[in-house]
Amino acid sequence: MEDKIAVQIDDLTVAYNYKPVLWDIDLSIPEGVLMAIVGPNGAGKSTLIKSILDIINPIAGSVKIYGKPYKKQRSLVAYVPQKGSVDWDFPTTSLDVVMMGTYGSLGWIKRPGQKEKKASLEALEKVGMLAFKNRQISQLSGGQQQRIFLARALVQNAAIYFMDEPFQGVDATTEKAIINILKELRKAGKTVIVVHHDLQTVPEYFDWVTFLNVKKIATGPVKDIFNDDNLTKTYGINYKVSVQQ
Amino acid sequence: MSNAQIEIQLIASLVAIACAIPGTFLVLRKMALITDAISHSILPGIVIGFFITHDLSSPLLIILAAASGVITVVLVEFIQKTGLVKEDTAIGLVFPALFSIGIILISQNANDVHLDIDAVLLGELAFAPFDRLIFNELDLGPKSLWIIGTILLITVGLLFAFFKELKVSTFDAGLASALGLSPVVMHYGLMTVSSITTVGAFDAVGAILVIALMIAPAATAYLLTNDLKKMLVLAVLFGVGSAITGYWVAHGLDSSISGSMTTVLGLLFLTVYLFAPSKGLFSVLYRQKQQRIEVSLLTFLLHLGNHEEDETERHVKHLNEHINWQKVKSKSVLDLALKNNMILIDNDIVSLTEKGQHFTTEAIDYIVTNKNSEIENMKDRFFLFRG
Repeated sequence: MEDKIAVQIDDLTVAYNYKPVLWDIDLSIPEGVLMAIVGPNGAGKSTLIKSILDIINPIAGSVKIYGKPYKKQRSLVAYVPQKGSVDWDFPTTSLDVVMMGTYGSLGWIKRPGQKEKKASLEALEKVGMLAFKNRQISQLSGGQQQRIFLARALVQNAAIYFMDEPFQGVDATTEKAIINILKELRKAGKTVIVVHHDLQTVPEYFDWVTFLNVKKIATGPVKDIFNDDNLTKTYGINYKVSVQQ
Repeated sequence: MSNAQIEIQLIASLVAIACAIPGTFLVLRKMALITDAISHSILPGIVIGFFITHDLSSPLLIILAAASGVITVVLVEFIQKTGLVKEDTAIGLVFPALFSIGIILISQNANDVHLDIDAVLLGELAFAPFDRLIFNELDLGPKSLWIIGTILLITVGLLFAFFKELKVSTFDAGLASALGLSPVVMHYGLMTVSSITTVGAFDAVGAILVIALMIAPAATAYLLTNDLKKMLVLAVLFGVGSAITGYWVAHGLDSSISGSMTTVLGLLFLTVYLFAPSKGLFSVLYRQKQQRIEVSLLTFLLHLGNHEEDETERHVKHLNEHINWQKVKSKSVLDLALKNNMILIDNDIVSLTEKGQHFTTEAIDYIVTNKNSEIENMKDRFFLFRG
């Protein structure tokens, strides 16, 4: 593993109505890891991603993507929001949603053309959804919708991928398909950061983990820090997960 | 048709187009109620502008009114952000307050101001041709035609320039923000355009009916298409169609033009709501009925499959009693199975064909594993397997 830092967070504090949801987070995410962010409900996992991506303004602290503020590094970052955060009855097709991933590199006013369309079709193929390119998005199953979101991130061709609960409400096949793509991304040297709920699969899927509960509990390689001690510290109760190593 | 009639229809059509465009995005953003608020709370802006300029079609008046529209949105969001009340309550608090300021201003100065509340609420399209733009003694047509024409040009220009930004910020504001396509700018841009359009349409249709022109065409189009561009085009067509039809209805009934336009819009929505091909009420009811029959078909086929050896279980009469269905239902299920070559009836004994067996296995497989690939080819024929 190289020592290059993909994401550097210092003293990050985020509050909603003056109630802190993230408190004084220091976090270095090395390049090329496939990292899970775990923690109980309300731990601030989504908030952490959103404040890295400048969707939420923190009240203190700084976030650097490869040493520079996010605003200057947008093109290096792709984001997969929670599936439930959008209205799937929106009148559009799978292909069109994937094309939205290209809007960032296009910038204001310019329209997507053949090049963007081709890249989007390739991304759809990668997630196994090419056959559904003209399907209206409300006609897709939960797993298919998640794949579309993943394709939209792939088309951004970023260096760092942030995903907010990509496995929520998807069937086992889709989960496997998604994790395989994430592992491929890591192999290609990308950094992948995933808000994750299923503690059982952490050792199988990820090589890096961050425990979060308003404050950062621990961060590091799964094999070193994914243990009952950190789980208990994060979830408060005596957590027992048999971790096979 | 007289010149004035053509002018009125032209103005009404332009108003309808100018309303349908922002209306489409407002409907998709679930912000229909905010147009209601804007259309009322621009009143103080209009009144103050009128006091200053004494001209209902002055640009200053439009700017002031648009500003009070945007102030409404800001106030609503501010109250909502306190977390003490929900959005609908915040809207309900803000716009009556602003509207009543406008009413008080009008009534206090009613003597020297030619601006009455009826006209503000309902508009009067019939008078539009009388207020003309004269330049160097040259008659350039009704003022409101120029106003709404200009607003429409700006709206269409912005729509073409920022279509992609509007789309992504409406569908997924988080992504738009992460991509650097500020959804906040889009939000306030849309609010400003909506406010300006409302002012422009105000003259023609008044504060209350402008809401109908914004929301009804978009809501109707939404039921008919799954494509944003088509939705925009349909909304525009519905708006214009209703505007012109409404004018002639009013002409025939010798009644209010704006009232007739809105009524036509309402009837149009009702018709589409009932008869739209896939989202319409009748189509949904039909689909539900088909789904019920298809579930029964599956149950029936499964029963046949489970009793391959036992002929008494597969007797037509026995099925009636055994599966506990009424005659009508049994018949429609049998018919559906026969029509699709899934069963054979020989001497009143029903048996599965190969196709029927295949169908049953596939369907059960799908229900158990939830794998969509299993049923892709069945979707076209059976409602049961469509979302």
